Amino acid sequence: MSNISWKEILLEEMPADLAHEVDIFEGQMELMGQGKLDEKVFAETRLRRGIYGQRYDNGQRHDGFESRDLAFEESERIKGPDTLWHAPGMQRIKVPFGGLTPDQLDVLAQVADEYSDSILHVTTRQDIQLHFVHIEDTPDLMRRLASVGITTREACGNSVRNVTCCHLAGVCRTEVFDATPYADAFAQFLLGHDDVQDFGRKFKPAFSGCENEACGLVMMHDLGYLAQVREVDGKQQRGFKVFVGGGLGTVPHQAKVLSEFTPEDEILPQAQAVARVFARLGEKRNRNRARIKFLVAKVGIEEFSRLVEEERKTLPHDDRWSAYLDTLAHYEEKPTRPPTFLNGQVRLSAFNRWFETNVYKQRQEGYSVVTVNLPLGDLTSKQTWALADVARKYVGDNVRTTVEQNIILRWVSDADLPLLYEELTALGLGDPGAGTIVDITACPGTDTCKLGIASSRGLAAELRTRLTTKSASLPDAIKDLKIKISGCFNSCGQHHVADIGFFGNSRRSGNFKMPHFQVVLGGRWRDNAGSYGLAVGAVPSKTVPEVVDTITNRYVDERAKGESFQEWIGRIGKKQARSLIQPFMQLPAFERQPEFFSDWGDPRVFSLGDIGIGECAGEVVSLFSMEIATAESEAFEAQVALDESDPTRADALAYSAMVKAARALVRTQFLDVGDDPNRIVQEFKTRFFDTELFFDQYAKGKFGQYLFERHQSPNQNPDIDSAHRLIEESLLFIEATHVCESKVGGNVLIEL
Amino acid sequence: MIAPQRLSLKFYFADISVDVEAFIPVFHRWIREHVVSNELLLDVADYKHILDGPALFLIGHTADYVIDMTDGKPGLQYVRKRELGTDLSKALEMTLSQALNGVKLMETDVELRGKLKLGADAATIAFVDRLNYPNNDTGAESAQAQLSDSLGAVFGVDASITRVDNDPREPLTFELHAPSAPDVDTLINRLQARKALCGQ
Repeated sequence: MSNISWKEILLEEMPADLAHEVDIFEGQMELMGQGKLDEKVFAETRLRRGIYGQRYDNGQRHDGFESRDLAFEESERIKGPDTLWHAPGMQRIKVPFGGLTPDQLDVLAQVADEYSDSILHVTTRQDIQLHFVHIEDTPDLMRRLASVGITTREACGNSVRNVTCCHLAGVCRTEVFDATPYADAFAQFLLGHDDVQDFGRKFKPAFSGCENEACGLVMMHDLGYLAQVREVDGKQQRGFKVFVGGGLGTVPHQAKVLSEFTPEDEILPQAQAVARVFARLGEKRNRNRARIKFLVAKVGIEEFSRLVEEERKTLPHDDRWSAYLDTLAHYEEKPTRPPTFLNGQVRLSAFNRWFETNVYKQRQEGYSVVTVNLPLGDLTSKQTWALADVARKYVGDNVRTTVEQNIILRWVSDADLPLLYEELTALGLGDPGAGTIVDITACPGTDTCKLGIASSRGLAAELRTRLTTKSASLPDAIKDLKIKISGCFNSCGQHHVADIGFFGNSRRSGNFKMPHFQVVLGGRWRDNAGSYGLAVGAVPSKTVPEVVDTITNRYVDERAKGESFQEWIGRIGKKQARSLIQPFMQLPAFERQPEFFSDWGDPRVFSLGDIGIGECAGEVVSLFSMEIATAESEAFEAQVALDESDPTRADALAYSAMVKAARALVRTQFLDVGDDPNRIVQEFKTRFFDTELFFDQYAKGKFGQYLFERHQSPNQNPDIDSAHRLIEESLLFIEATHVCESKVGGNVLIEL
Repeated sequence: MIAPQRLSLKFYFADISVDVEAFIPVFHRWIREHVVSNELLLDVADYKHILDGPALFLIGHTADYVIDMTDGKPGLQYVRKRELGTDLSKALEMTLSQALNGVKLMETDVELRGKLKLGADAATIAFVDRLNYPNNDTGAESAQAQLSDSLGAVFGVDASITRVDNDPREPLTFELHAPSAPDVDTLINRLQARKALCGQ
């Protein structure tokens, strides 16, 4: 093994808090390896680090004939319920508002080729995902990302997911104002915030600058922000129309208006209040009804709004609510080149085709946004380095991912467009058709997802190939239609808001199952995902290309002048829409058409045998369990420090572990205890020590005294012996905390 | 010298008359039939939509087999990603042995036989480990010497190792040129003889 490590090399380059978080996670991995951490707690812990399970990680794979064991070494070792330690997984990497710099792209490319299969995948939430990652590589992967300011924290699990924002924000011709700095502030504020640690399910926020464009798709989000300006006393005041309770999933919900106008200095406390209400009243046991949309539907938007307002009044003041506003005036993106105009240059027809679909004229004269159309959202490490260099040359740090799984370069000086096109084409990144019918969105589906039923990527690749081949002859009316595909009903491919959407399911024919896709027609991408499509029936997967042709041909033939696809579907109604696909709904027998019984790009006979238990929502683990796990990790770190003959660090970590354990216990009764050790110890004393709830039957208050003594009299010069003693005490204290929590029930009560 | 965390070796197709699609059922069958007896094979990952890149992966626990089209040069890349041991010379030996085994399996596969030929006279070797083998002169010199020693003994006296002048962000990479390299079977035999010799 190497005697150098990324931890040492990057020590100065990582923000201290990110570095510490990774150390803690590494400690938790060790504890899990020693069987000292509950499997559900560890599963949620790794999910909150963005480490997600992947297909076949239960050690079973259907090979087309039968399910067989995958003979992983140490098959008894797990990283969560029914999830083998050595099975490869997925690493999701958060990219708030999709913003990336060339330096970050460089490191992403490096970790992709060292720890995954050298493919970077852009998701429908502007994240980057790496697949086939071994869990033991994740701490170093995270450290390398941390060295360029990227965190994977809360990328998965029951947490606030990546905060998305319109990729055109700041350069858009129709926006009210640039929502980017607000999205960024929101992401930073809620990252790891105490009030977002006890959700029953994930929570997805989005920011938008325009009402009528697709923009941030706020209507399909748990919490959505739409930029607004109002006049108060002759002055323009910025704020947001706030939506809550939207979401796709199995049953899509349109978001409701939480407030018509929330001033900019109120959006963070209001979000915090929403989070608290969701944590307190949201469903925890039944994960199928645990998203906030169900809570809003259950209590009604008026009552939900009232609860949020009441909650807002109880919040202890936080300077961060408005601190970021001071920086807004200075927020700007800097182009690297002066503005120019695209006049008189030779324009090849290939360039013109690309220009027509992949170039958006910014509101800033002389600049454009270029969309790099990524097939299925994928690019290689090698392409990523080259793209980083292209970005450095033409746009600097102005790179963003998009929810349509592309990457954009902002602030391209117009005269640079022909050269830029040539350079992208040389990298295999010059495909035209961005945002059109060939630019198909697809979730990972059966390629890697444990929940996937049918091959969304296989179908997307097939449709992309076929439609690209005939793109020049496609009627204008359908060129800009959106096709979006999910591998199952969970809607990660956002099929509900596509003109033509599909989600995977299956049907039986004889003794065999056949991959199918449910057809969903007429969803609205514009108007911030303004309405959802109509499910009209399921067709065999292998018929989908013909189904697309049939639907689009009928639309071209029957549409009235200026009639949109949504309007046409609305006009013909569900019955007629279903009749369009009816001829394809017949199920052939296996003997006659065996090709129908395997999926796109996968020759195995189709089976549902590989579907596992999704980790999308994580396990519902109590807040105490999560927080005590952090304390245990610090105690473990203390032991490591002692082994490394560093008693000072060991002493500090052992003390910190006790404070964290006390805090976890206090927060079962009082969420707002904060981080100040004095306050934590005082609250612990009042609530658990003085009341004798913490007392052991025989040792009485002895374990609590360990905390008080170290808190009141820190050892200025700890040696090996004293540090060792304190570690032992901290372990006993943590143990006593567990006992106490199970004794008192661990219910989270909000103190009003 | 220390073994890298990942080591890849790519042989190029001297002749190929099938497209990438044809490898998909082959790779699935390799998983089903445990064709690589000493490795756990897991899944097939299809990236043929990417231009000039890794087109198809046979994903394994310790290693991946990749139909790689990077730079427009199709080949079979073997990426050893776990269990490389601690010593570079042993890691090289094992990677070469498994890569050659992969070549042989592919050339003799029931569905591919006669439809492709991999050349043994050239290969690309990458140290995918920027911690221990950063792509700079310091790391390159000693790695090159070890490569010359390990591969020269197998591929023949005129085999040469050249460092690829690639982007420093990319992995440290070398090219093997072996104009008088024998066929794959002979290479495997030589490697086994060398292993036996070293083991004595």
